[in-house]
Amino acid sequence: MNKPYMGKILMVDLSNQTMTEEAIPDHVYEQYLSGMGLGAYILYNRMPAGADPLGPENILGFCSGFLTGTGSLFSGRWTLVGKSPLTGCWGDANCGGTFSPAIKHCGFDAIFFKGISPKPVYLYIKNSKATLKDAADIWGHDAVETEEILKQQYGQKAAVAVIGPAGEKCSLISGVCSDKGRIAARSGLGAVMGIKRLKALVLDGVQQIGAHDPAAMKRLSRHCAKWVRMPLPLTSGSVFARVGSFLRVTPVVFPQDGLLYANILKKWGTGGMNQASIEMGDSPLKNWSGSNRDFPLAKSKKINPDLIKNTEIVKYHCYSCPLGCGGICATKGQHAHTHKPEYESILALGGLCMNEDLDSIFYLNELLNRAGMDTISAGATAAFAIECYEKGILTKEDTGGLELKWGNTESLVALIKKMINREGIGDLLADGTKIAAAKIGKGAIEFAIHAGGQEPAMHDGRNDPGFNVHYSLEPSPGRHTLGAHLYYEMFQLWKCVKGLPRPSLLYTKASKYKINPEKAQTAAACSKFMSLANGAGMCLFGLFIGVKRVPTFDWLNAATGWQLTPEEYMAIGERIQTLKQAFNIKHGVEPRDNFISSRALGKVPQTEGANKGRFVDVEKLAPGYWDQFGWDTTTGKPKEETLRKLKIK
Amino acid sequence: MSYTITEKCNGCGACARNCPAVAISGEKKKPHTIDASLCIECGACGRICPHAAVLDAEGASCMMIKRSGWLKPDIMLESCVACGICIDACPVGCLVLSELPRKKGVDAFPYLKDTKACIGCGFCSRECPVEAVVMQVPVKIEKVAASGESA
Repeated sequence: MNKPYMGKILMVDLSNQTMTEEAIPDHVYEQYLSGMGLGAYILYNRMPAGADPLGPENILGFCSGFLTGTGSLFSGRWTLVGKSPLTGCWGDANCGGTFSPAIKHCGFDAIFFKGISPKPVYLYIKNSKATLKDAADIWGHDAVETEEILKQQYGQKAAVAVIGPAGEKCSLISGVCSDKGRIAARSGLGAVMGIKRLKALVLDGVQQIGAHDPAAMKRLSRHCAKWVRMPLPLTSGSVFARVGSFLRVTPVVFPQDGLLYANILKKWGTGGMNQASIEMGDSPLKNWSGSNRDFPLAKSKKINPDLIKNTEIVKYHCYSCPLGCGGICATKGQHAHTHKPEYESILALGGLCMNEDLDSIFYLNELLNRAGMDTISAGATAAFAIECYEKGILTKEDTGGLELKWGNTESLVALIKKMINREGIGDLLADGTKIAAAKIGKGAIEFAIHAGGQEPAMHDGRNDPGFNVHYSLEPSPGRHTLGAHLYYEMFQLWKCVKGLPRPSLLYTKASKYKINPEKAQTAAACSKFMSLANGAGMCLFGLFIGVKRVPTFDWLNAATGWQLTPEEYMAIGERIQTLKQAFNIKHGVEPRDNFISSRALGKVPQTEGANKGRFVDVEKLAPGYWDQFGWDTTTGKPKEETLRKLKIK
Repeated sequence: MSYTITEKCNGCGACARNCPAVAISGEKKKPHTIDASLCIECGACGRICPHAAVLDAEGASCMMIKRSGWLKPDIMLESCVACGICIDACPVGCLVLSELPRKKGVDAFPYLKDTKACIGCGFCSRECPVEAVVMQVPVKIEKVAASGESA
């Protein structure tokens, strides 16, 4: 009862419909925590090399966070793990809502699935008793409908994770939904669940989650809540557009404090920065070929944060979140209530496709949530298709009569509907840009912006070179939630972890592009910290507030009684990161193949806008980053001595 | 550790009906048992047993308390951060977020929706990280009931 973990996992073999409870020894938690760490440990050790991501050997895991339910805040994230069919690499996707504590209430730290079920099934766990049930009746329903049906049957307290039609149809850009619109979308793991014919998980347990020192946990949480609830006077969302314009032109910038972001997130949600982001060059536009000049204030004001906030009826908090960046909105469209679109969705379906129609963004966001498709990848693939059409690579005949022009909202909506249903051109595009480009040929690959097959998020690495480092070099390529120059500033890790550099109070933008050992050190620190945080189930937005104010290391000590130093916890993060890389190497991945497309690096630099002339040389950045982890500096493969030192081998 | 049932049990089944973890089993009119692996130590069985046949995790005998005397959560909205931990901690699901608030775009806060279902375990209060949930006997309801009886 006084341990923060349950000490057990459930392994479900769908091929023969058997379930095994397994005890996990304490030393595994001490080395990897749970969450993504435990997931990596199980997948690395149990999955045979070269397993087909869409075959029976792939293992799909639902892992709750290590700190979930211990009295800590911002710790309600769960991680979906598996071998990604989209990239062929280590795959994980992160999601909030209420599903993470539900896994622990059932008595498990994680639930894993292997094999392929002969017929559609769903897993139901009531008070630690698990059963596989026939899913014939719910197969084919969208994610929201399915959740409603299951909750009607099993009660509102049950937590549900489901795939929508996109996952059922094995779209490689599909994810797993919970809470009617929170989605573990990245890495295409919805397709793995779909091919396994697993429609849903319904969890209804009451097992209690412990902590070593509950009083200390609460003390730390109160300290954290005080910072989160500190109000800053922020009046209008349109102010940020001006700030964004200023940040574009100023040659000198200063380190950002995440407390400001926390307040923006609290008031507007992640979409609060969308207009500013376009202005300052953070958001890619026109399939990564455009700049703020293509999408000026006159256009971006139609998707400005205040307009989105006006539709919000009530705030939405994930489990254990005092911030509440989410919201439930009422719109004019077909769906009366919808989750507030996130920053990524707004810009992937907006600026990236040059679409300035806010209603269509709301509509598409809900449509994709219901289908269980990743909004980032769907928007990016649509933008790719539009550029192919504009360049004459795709014709009207190919698109089934759709006039795929920049900013043509009607055809964008029709295209995404086709992708969800895998009709006509949609069938070609439902597996992301890289696969679509390979099928189209005719030089289309030039316009497919991806890292290792996954579409990068709406943060331009030409603006913050840190993003390009992480898009290209992480074991799960194309992910934006693991590190960046900006993230390092906001995490404020140097305040706790010895030996990490403190950014200078004023620095030139050009200095961000200089390649030096400090860059490698800070990028590696972000990766280690986020691997640790994903093991702990922590939310990135909480971590932005700063490591002293959101005391991750102290919570871990209070929850476990281990009394480790921050440096020792960072070593756990390093171990998880190296294990993921070792997973990739075991499965024959060449890390160099995952470098992001040359357009996103600025190999041919832009001639106007915020990122004019910017080029990020990942080839030169990679050796330094790899060296930080003790990986080979030419191949990116973890050295034998590193694996032994970290006790992976 | 787990709650246990002594030989004083006459098998009335009140505890089994009240147990949110479905940890208690036994035939009617025969002594019941608690499955230690399922027991969450909420104390609901001890509070309802009319024969004081339940021992808590420390082995102390539990006293029956009238249902109207069970502690109920009171949520202090000024310190609540709407994190939802209490709602998740409740083993019977009697706490929910308020319906759509009157003002647009603000937090929804938890409240005790199903008063009858509440077993008074206090998990919501124990788990609340900001000590915004206070367990107390619902005074107002008692007064109304008392005045109703006298009238």
